[in-house]
Amino acid sequence: MISKKDLENLAELARIELKESQENKLLKDLESILKYFEELKEVDASVAASMIGGTFLENICRSDEYLNWAKLDGILSQFPKKENSFLRVPPVFSAESGSLPVRQAGVSDEE
Amino acid sequence: MELENLTITSFHNGLLSREFSALEAIQVFFKSIESNDKKIDAYLNLLKDDAISQAEKIDILLAKNESVPLLAGVPLAIKDNILIEGKKTTAASRILENYIASYDATVIKKLRSAQAIFLGKTNLDEFAMGASTENSGFKITRNPYDLNRVPGGSSGGSAAAVTANMALAALGSDTGGSVRQPGAFCGVVGLKPTYGAVSRFGLIAMASSLDQIGPIAKTVEDAAILFKEIAGKDEFDSTGVNHNYSDELLASPINKIQKFKIGIPKEYFVGGIDKKVIEGVEQAMEKLKSLKLEFKEISLPHTKYAISCYYIIAPAEISANLARFEGIRYSSILEVEKKAKTLKDLYFKNRGFGFGEEVKRRIILGTFVLSRGYYDAYYAKAQKVRMLIRNDFVEAFKEVDVIISPTTPTSAFKIGEKTKDPLSMYLSDVFTCPINLAGLPAISIPVKKYKLGGNELPVGFQLIGKPFHEADILGIGQFYEKI
Repeated sequence: MISKKDLENLAELARIELKESQENKLLKDLESILKYFEELKEVDASVAASMIGGTFLENICRSDEYLNWAKLDGILSQFPKKENSFLRVPPVFSAESGSLPVRQAGVSDEE
Repeated sequence: MELENLTITSFHNGLLSREFSALEAIQVFFKSIESNDKKIDAYLNLLKDDAISQAEKIDILLAKNESVPLLAGVPLAIKDNILIEGKKTTAASRILENYIASYDATVIKKLRSAQAIFLGKTNLDEFAMGASTENSGFKITRNPYDLNRVPGGSSGGSAAAVTANMALAALGSDTGGSVRQPGAFCGVVGLKPTYGAVSRFGLIAMASSLDQIGPIAKTVEDAAILFKEIAGKDEFDSTGVNHNYSDELLASPINKIQKFKIGIPKEYFVGGIDKKVIEGVEQAMEKLKSLKLEFKEISLPHTKYAISCYYIIAPAEISANLARFEGIRYSSILEVEKKAKTLKDLYFKNRGFGFGEEVKRRIILGTFVLSRGYYDAYYAKAQKVRMLIRNDFVEAFKEVDVIISPTTPTSAFKIGEKTKDPLSMYLSDVFTCPINLAGLPAISIPVKKYKLGGNELPVGFQLIGKPFHEADILGIGQFYEKI
């Protein structure tokens, strides 16, 4: 079963901020869902192959060519902040965290 | 112009005989939306200006006596997880509240070249996760047969729009039953095509090994016409198959249909099913017998495990697919953005604020079943069980051509009835999700023509076909409707 600490770790991995009340509800829901999944233990699937994905097609490739299928302006217009055709995001490290300021290629951390 | 019995073919004939113009037709539909959608809330966003200018173009072609395709001017509703260039596409999520699509989905491109008209974008469970449309981040859609009940989900807005004559037909997407279940709840036809039959390019991905786009329509024939138009591989969906569908899709010969043997899977007729649903499906089988179809009991022994299998595999894929939504690249949530100090902080705040409860639950569940120490017990096991479920169908199809079942265990449930207990909501998919796991085509057909405003709730039955044998289930369905 999932402990509160496990849940906080999962939320950290999934990058989702959870409120205390949401955590409690989620723990309760996950408990009943995982309990339901217990039924899979009774299935002997030892001889079955895995069905990976929805298709049995293999090695579907296309030629490695640049395709201009979407209008760049349409994509850029959705960015909250941009510089030329780069997306501007908040700094990866904050000044208070004591880490060295890091600049990413193409992304400025200053206003 | 009488909307109730209008079909794609009768619409086309009406246009050609100048009974109405394309513009007049569109205006009748917008009027219907204006008067009905206040209480039903099927649409998130209307595309009135584009629809009108498109209709005017068709009227000019008709005035010049040029020929127009069957779908010309046909007013459609589009589920809001399918991209239309330059238009808001939200997937009913706060995190995409301001997102404007930068390209057309392949299905939209195809329908556009067939000159169909898009009336608007319809409501859904956020990112198509749900069975009632109550998980929308914006509003609850109501069932036109009973406003206190859900229209089903996740394509609830599309199904309700077709039922209430606010669109002639619609597109939805089906990952575990999201086209067929709302079809059954709203008394309309819903087709989930074979995995790989329709390109998902431009469909906001939920669970990529299960998602398919499918039509929702008033008749099987209309569903067949739309399916034929949107089917086909494109270079942007690598799971696509270029199956050469013949014109049999639109009209299967009766002597072919009459040779079919229909399987009745005993595991789909067990306890816990509503009496009305069982009665409805039995009624449908009686009618089918008049077509001289043969029935045979079959077994799909792993049916029982489909819900567990589905709710491990789908959330696993969801947790990966929804990683791309951070409230930055696909438009932003302004009030959150101002408060974030670092990039990671912004991710947490945007996703915490932007995703609803069910989406969070599935992302966390998916992250869990993929995590170290649990992967083998859950995800790896589910992939093996999925193969067993698929193999059940492979075996069954050696004995029969088509399988019949109820679409859902109950008819439309009350708003709020299942929202507190997610597991009870998941169980609504019990007869539909095995079909997605196996990648098969299936259609939900109303047992009979139900009367809006009457006090009877619609019941649907499901026909499941062999891979790429949509013509079989569409064929039986078309003859069924004529009985």
